[in-house]
Amino acid sequence: MDWNTLPYDKIFVIVTVLVAGPGIIAGITVPAIGQAIVALSGLKAISRQPEAGDKINSIVLLSLAMLESLAIYVLAVILILVFANPMRSFILGS
Amino acid sequence: MPRKNKQTLTLILVVVLIIAMAAISFSLRSSGDYEPEPVADEIAPDLVFTVGPIQVTSTVINTWIMIGMLGFGAYLIGKTFKVRPGMLQNAVEWLAEAIQGIIAQNIGTENSNLFFPVVATLAIFIGVSNLLGLIPGLHSPTPDINTPVAMALVVFFLVPYFGIRTHGLWGYLKHYVDPIFLMLPIEIASEIARTFSLSFRLFGNILGEEIIIAILFLIAPIIVPVPMMLFSIFTGVLQAYIFTLLSCVYIGGAVKAHQSTKS
Repeated sequence: MDWNTLPYDKIFVIVTVLVAGPGIIAGITVPAIGQAIVALSGLKAISRQPEAGDKINSIVLLSLAMLESLAIYVLAVILILVFANPMRSFILGS
Repeated sequence: MPRKNKQTLTLILVVVLIIAMAAISFSLRSSGDYEPEPVADEIAPDLVFTVGPIQVTSTVINTWIMIGMLGFGAYLIGKTFKVRPGMLQNAVEWLAEAIQGIIAQNIGTENSNLFFPVVATLAIFIGVSNLLGLIPGLHSPTPDINTPVAMALVVFFLVPYFGIRTHGLWGYLKHYVDPIFLMLPIEIASEIARTFSLSFRLFGNILGEEIIIAILFLIAPIIVPVPMMLFSIFTGVLQAYIFTLLSCVYIGGAVKAHQSTKS
């Protein structure tokens, strides 16, 4: 195999797309499980003590936002990979 | 005809109408022979003009339009304030009371007037700029990374400002090394990381929403994107609320830093 004449531009695009799909799946599933746990325990806490609902509500929203930012990081990385890859000009030439 | 049957008939008519509109838009798309624009071009801001080294993009123009609208609206609403509130004044007062509730819960009730102007400005600015994309012809400033980073940097500098104002310079710096000296790098890293997460959360949420709407426009432009745009109202307001809540929590962390050891 001649390493110098491989179609690196095509390989680059294929690898980018192949990484993007499983990456977004993995990056959404794991925070989703975490968010489900947070929502579940928040619901349990409110049903046990409804008078503390306001305080629990804001804390639950806060933790959901924290967990959501993980999925957003993955989304940002995937978007950069697909649309604005900094290596693109290096591999594909100009 | 009984009433129930009439309702069912109306429902079926509406569903058929929606499906017909979607089919028309699909067929319009497939019969036309123009190239669909890449999604990235539709999202990215355009360069309008340059002032020396500074590039003024369409994001900045949209932000100026929004600031003008907000200022003029605030002037109009503020001019007509009465003791007995009307509908519009009620809405504005509800918004102000909601923001004051967030401040009271996370920073503290004493001198909450000190924090109210800047927190309310952040909340209203981000909320309106998330919703600005719904007006035809205008685009939200928030899917451009510069706007969320600017907002997060405002919070990044507000935290030491209010901390020093409350506890003095020495008192604020002392909370970095509060239990032991080893906490210093962790505290600094967390300040930088939360600025990143604050800006990227807003940016990623609104950008993802805009990309989904743009893709739906490319597939079927007439009625299919409407439910997603309705959902984007919810996302925009929720993200503004979360940004406000988190900045209040961060400011509260600096302001309340030494209350437990003092008392």
